[in-house]
Amino acid sequence: MKKKVIGLIDGQSGNIGSINKAIKDIIKGRPYRLKIIKGHFNYSSFDKIILPGQGAYATLMSNLKKLKIIKPLKEYLENNSSYLGICVGMQILSDWGYEDKITRGLGVISGDIKKFRNKKLITPHMGWNIINLNNDDTIITNSFDKKDFYFVHSYIFQNIKKSDVLAFTLYGQKFPSIVKKGNIYGVQFHPEKSHKHGLNLIKNYILKS
Amino acid sequence: MLKTRIIPCLDVIKNKVVKGVNFKNIRVMGNAVEMAKYYSLSGADELCMLDINASYQNRKTFIKTVESIAKVINIPLTVGGGVSDLSDITDLLNAGADKVSINSAAVKNPKLIRQASLRHGSQCIVVAIDGKRHKNKMKVVIKGGREITKNELITWAKQVQSLGAGEILMTSMDTDGVQNGFDSNMLKKVTSNVSIPVIASGGVGSLEHFYLGYLTKSTGLLAASVFHSRKYKIKTVKKYLSSKGVPVRL
Repeated sequence: MKKKVIGLIDGQSGNIGSINKAIKDIIKGRPYRLKIIKGHFNYSSFDKIILPGQGAYATLMSNLKKLKIIKPLKEYLENNSSYLGICVGMQILSDWGYEDKITRGLGVISGDIKKFRNKKLITPHMGWNIINLNNDDTIITNSFDKKDFYFVHSYIFQNIKKSDVLAFTLYGQKFPSIVKKGNIYGVQFHPEKSHKHGLNLIKNYILKS
Repeated sequence: MLKTRIIPCLDVIKNKVVKGVNFKNIRVMGNAVEMAKYYSLSGADELCMLDINASYQNRKTFIKTVESIAKVINIPLTVGGGVSDLSDITDLLNAGADKVSINSAAVKNPKLIRQASLRHGSQCIVVAIDGKRHKNKMKVVIKGGREITKNELITWAKQVQSLGAGEILMTSMDTDGVQNGFDSNMLKKVTSNVSIPVIASGGVGSLEHFYLGYLTKSTGLLAASVFHSRKYKIKTVKKYLSSKGVPVRL
């Protein structure tokens, strides 16, 4: 049987160690292969791509550009191929990011990444908070509803279409914590840091889609 | 709603968790990797580990310990102690730390905070501040409280925020190690003057102390002895806090 190929993009935006280990544990003994993407790649040779990210939107976009990852990644996403973006890896699916400087994103899910509106909030939004499902699907099943995940961010998805929001979280305001369009998923939290529910989510993403 | 984080802190020499008051009478409490794994499984929201004897010889073993711990837990890991420059920060992040805590080096060279947060993002730069009352003023101290700096505590807390720190780990040297409770007064002064998260540290001895810590608006509550000595399980603390109406992850 041909093994499915999972690509993990190292956008030099934080450590990929935890997610790398989580994926390896899940695919052990299963027909999957993990490849780390560090530069230009052939978009048709991957079945799934995961992009974790920390830090700033502008930094991740410029890293991806330098690494020549933007073009193949856009082609990959335009084909509605399976993708999971984590934190900033989710945020860059938007049209524009407003962190540090205004930066054009991948434009896959319409909306902008802007700061929390309430200026009195403690930011970053750092710690465990629950997600509230608007809908469920094969990956984000009902079992994740109202479960805690680990968040670290000061910017959120705004001006997004309701139909692209799979789950939301409350922190000073309602904001999208999971976005979805076709086979493209983005989570604002860090599943690789979110203990068993986080690992289950990554597992579902890899095995059920 | 954001949960209040309960954070066990491991004071580490090489690969052992130790306990000692002011570096005297150091006792080994256990193996760092095993204790980290235990806390991760038993409901800790984050882990903090500090190299309390960051000598050249011990450092290599300590970094290996960080790597081993990062492999067995899947909650965030903050690592500090002996961080003096950008390369120390990079080494710890590469070893698997999610956040790095800077203390004396930030006092000596505040620019380090800016450089570190620009390079790695604010979210992974924690500034640890040790505070102490001196001549009716709250001052920043270093070297475990033995050296009083010229920095006024609140001014310094605001400064580290503007330099790009993502979080403050606030220890009161007036209450640390005594188990009479957090320094509520000092913590409230800090939380009311900054808008980044503050972790309260130093002085927990009872369940009520955790609750009083929550009331200071600190979003993380750090403790060592009460957990290492098995006086309380993390679940016990969380159930108690929950019964008082504090949002926690159960």
